[in-house]
Amino acid sequence: MLDRWLKVRRSRAKIIVLCFVVSVIVLHGTFNPVNPGYSADENQNHQSDAHSKRVESRRLLEEAQNDAAQGDNNDNKNYAEFDIAKILIDEEEGEKEKPDPNKPYSLGPKISDWDQQRSEWLKTNPDFPNFIGPNKPRVLLVTGSSPKPCENPVGDHYLLKSIKNKIDYCRLHGIEIFYNMALLDAEMAGFWAKLPLIRKLLLSHPEIEFLWWMDSDAMFTDMAYELPWERYKDFNMVMHGWNEMVYNDKNWIGLNTGSFLLRNCQWSLDLLDAWAPMGPKGKVREEAGKILTRELKDRPVFEADDQSAIVYLLVKERAKWGEKVYLENAYYLHGYWGILVDRYEEMIENYHPGLGDHRWPLVTHFVGCKPCGKFGDYSVERCLRQMDRAFNFGDNQILQMYGFTHKSLASRRVKRVRNETGNPLEVKDEFGLLHPSFKAVKVSASS
Amino acid sequence: MGQDNFAPQKRSSTGGGGGLPTIRNEAGAGGRNRGFPSMPRGRQMHKTFNNIKITILCGFVTILVLRGTIGVGNLGSSEAEAINQNLIEETNRILAEIRSDSDPTDPDESPETELNPNVTYTLGPKITDWDQQRKVWLSKNPEFPNFVNGKARILLVTGSPPNPCDNAIGDHYLLKAIKNKIDYCRLHGIEIVYNMAHLDKELAGYWAKLPLIRRLMLSHPELEWIWWMDSDAFFTDMVFEIPLYKYEKYNLVIHGYPDLLFEQKSWIALNTGSFLFRNCQWSLDLLDAWAPMGPKGPIREEAGRILTANLKGRPAFEADDQSALIYLLLSQKDQWMDKVFIENQYYLHGYWAGLVDRYEEMMEKYHPGLGDERWPFVTHFVGCKPCGSYGDYSVERCLRSMQRAFNFADNQVLKLYGFRHRGLLGPNIKRIRNETATPLEIIDQLDIRRSVHGKTESKS
Repeated sequence: MLDRWLKVRRSRAKIIVLCFVVSVIVLHGTFNPVNPGYSADENQNHQSDAHSKRVESRRLLEEAQNDAAQGDNNDNKNYAEFDIAKILIDEEEGEKEKPDPNKPYSLGPKISDWDQQRSEWLKTNPDFPNFIGPNKPRVLLVTGSSPKPCENPVGDHYLLKSIKNKIDYCRLHGIEIFYNMALLDAEMAGFWAKLPLIRKLLLSHPEIEFLWWMDSDAMFTDMAYELPWERYKDFNMVMHGWNEMVYNDKNWIGLNTGSFLLRNCQWSLDLLDAWAPMGPKGKVREEAGKILTRELKDRPVFEADDQSAIVYLLVKERAKWGEKVYLENAYYLHGYWGILVDRYEEMIENYHPGLGDHRWPLVTHFVGCKPCGKFGDYSVERCLRQMDRAFNFGDNQILQMYGFTHKSLASRRVKRVRNETGNPLEVKDEFGLLHPSFKAVKVSASS
Repeated sequence: MGQDNFAPQKRSSTGGGGGLPTIRNEAGAGGRNRGFPSMPRGRQMHKTFNNIKITILCGFVTILVLRGTIGVGNLGSSEAEAINQNLIEETNRILAEIRSDSDPTDPDESPETELNPNVTYTLGPKITDWDQQRKVWLSKNPEFPNFVNGKARILLVTGSPPNPCDNAIGDHYLLKAIKNKIDYCRLHGIEIVYNMAHLDKELAGYWAKLPLIRRLMLSHPELEWIWWMDSDAFFTDMVFEIPLYKYEKYNLVIHGYPDLLFEQKSWIALNTGSFLFRNCQWSLDLLDAWAPMGPKGPIREEAGRILTANLKGRPAFEADDQSALIYLLLSQKDQWMDKVFIENQYYLHGYWAGLVDRYEEMMEKYHPGLGDERWPFVTHFVGCKPCGSYGDYSVERCLRSMQRAFNFADNQVLKLYGFRHRGLLGPNIKRIRNETATPLEIIDQLDIRRSVHGKTESKS
């Protein structure tokens, strides 16, 4: 009798134990939620609180997606919990200009006498000459980025370093900067946004002789190199590239539109007009992308981009445009970072600034890194670390003017390399960048 | 025998025959057949049911555990998930490392020796003839004059720490702030130096501007004025130009209120977020007199106590450059004040709280070029500290206001190009002037730069 009672209890006990185990597992799952939108691996990431640093970083990466429940608290003084997307909205959105789908896209009303308009203006405004020195045209460096914060939490920091780098180069070389954060034409968003911007700037600033477009992910690494302006006196557009790769191979990376010069003249307006048609987003850009992938060598399948489009344009209409386009490769007007960044130490040992070429590149361009986005084409570690190195490599040339240098190419800290003296004006900086000849002001004859 | 009668009842198959089944079975013991030989059907089912329950529960547990391990329906792409996960982890690690203050190449950096308090800190070797040195240099280098197009050469100096801000939004507003300064300076022919290096580890933080200003003055004798501006200050009047003619007899131009300074000795009587220093001997001397409260550690702490004791309203914290300058100018009034211009006719520094809510009113009633409370020259976001983790004000208010100030200023830049922002908060712009085939007709009226003319020569 007792045995029977025990046996009954035993089976009950088994059930109870099993139920208990099940409850524990379910509760465990409840407090570390299994979200169907995430993969199970990410769930484990949530669950491993032992690596709080990782969780912290993860939270940082996703802070833009966080529910802004805390933001509702108006007294919140903690920047970590705030979702900026909540406030960057206008009350009045108004009507967006809807383009007529039947009309072909155009950057603006056709202008056919720009050279004349401009030269008349220059005559009546002698205080705004288009040449600020005997061989020195007035140049405007144009770059930009999105008005919204980067998805990547350190993206804005790298944009900041990049613009500081450009400020330094341009200050030394007497070049003005325009940093664009506005989308002038919603049709031409993304990499095409530079076209309406460039046209607008050319027409609004007749005193500019050359407009120098530069991507936000490109950095100056040779602070002493001055562009050979005389070389381009018969050309209207200068891009880094190779004639054979463009005209013979039709390679989509035969040239690079991350850093190029465009003269302020009628020819350029016409080029922009011929370049633009592949840009308007939507069907036009998609279709154009297919044509470009078909026609150009090695081009992957994606929508039309401005670089492929200009390769295609030059190949197709070489007779019309080719004569005035200079494909420069004697120095790195654009330098692909992959082949340059590992050699900085070697360059420092063997060469010096002022060369601009493979020995000491003018520009190191981080194509494909996309530091502002979440993930680029290359590993984050390599991209960001190398951008730091390139930045420091360029910054060292600025700091040496003042007697400092970075402790190493990877370090943010600086150390003194030249002591302060009581006669600071007798000290000459190593590369003569404090008062370089290309910055000298033209002294008027009557002084 | 009665055996056959009991056969149907018998479940077990013990060898023996008949007899009282219970006793026999129990005597039989062992084997599977220990159960209840005379088990009723209900009991049987109950047991089966129990077994099924346990089986189901076990199965359930197994599924839950497996689900937690490999994920439902992810059996095929588990490798891709693993790679993705690795990527995410690596990204997180890199980002965390970048955002930390640690320097990857200083594994055995020697512990920083604190300054010997008995040795007075100096910014550099004493120079006493800077005016003379500079004059000689200018005469020898006419291609680097201190006056360009009739205007004195000004250098705007600003900066931020070399590491990323504690939060991404901080870096975003640093970026917007520098774009804002680039725009103003382009329109007014001013050069910019954006500093991201700590030139002197003793004078870090807000004191970092002192060695920087001194270094720039001495390296660039062609500069007439050095204009320090904080990274959290925005230009909001793109047309207004600093009236340098007012300051011909002065060497330091700073925003403030004389009564707050001399009568109340308030620690906010002046603001060192935006001020101008003439490049001359007097300025070097002032910097030398200003610096001693700066070196971090016990010196700065002690100095902080002195400042809190002597200045009205100052909270207790280490010495900051603003309080130190106020204290210096008060305690050595006769030596310095005759060359200090305390400006409050326009907002060389404009405290943001009283200004940002009035932007719409300003746009309605006034116009750029005034620089004062009607259209502030500079809106300075004191206390917001977007680069840090915590500010003195609500985050929402600060960021909203900074964005409004940015758009307010950007509208003045975009006007030349025929655009303006749709509102003061959002990033979108709208066209306010149609494209024409003769763009130059309107340019002259709108370009802010047209008012600057003059010759290029050196002036002593």
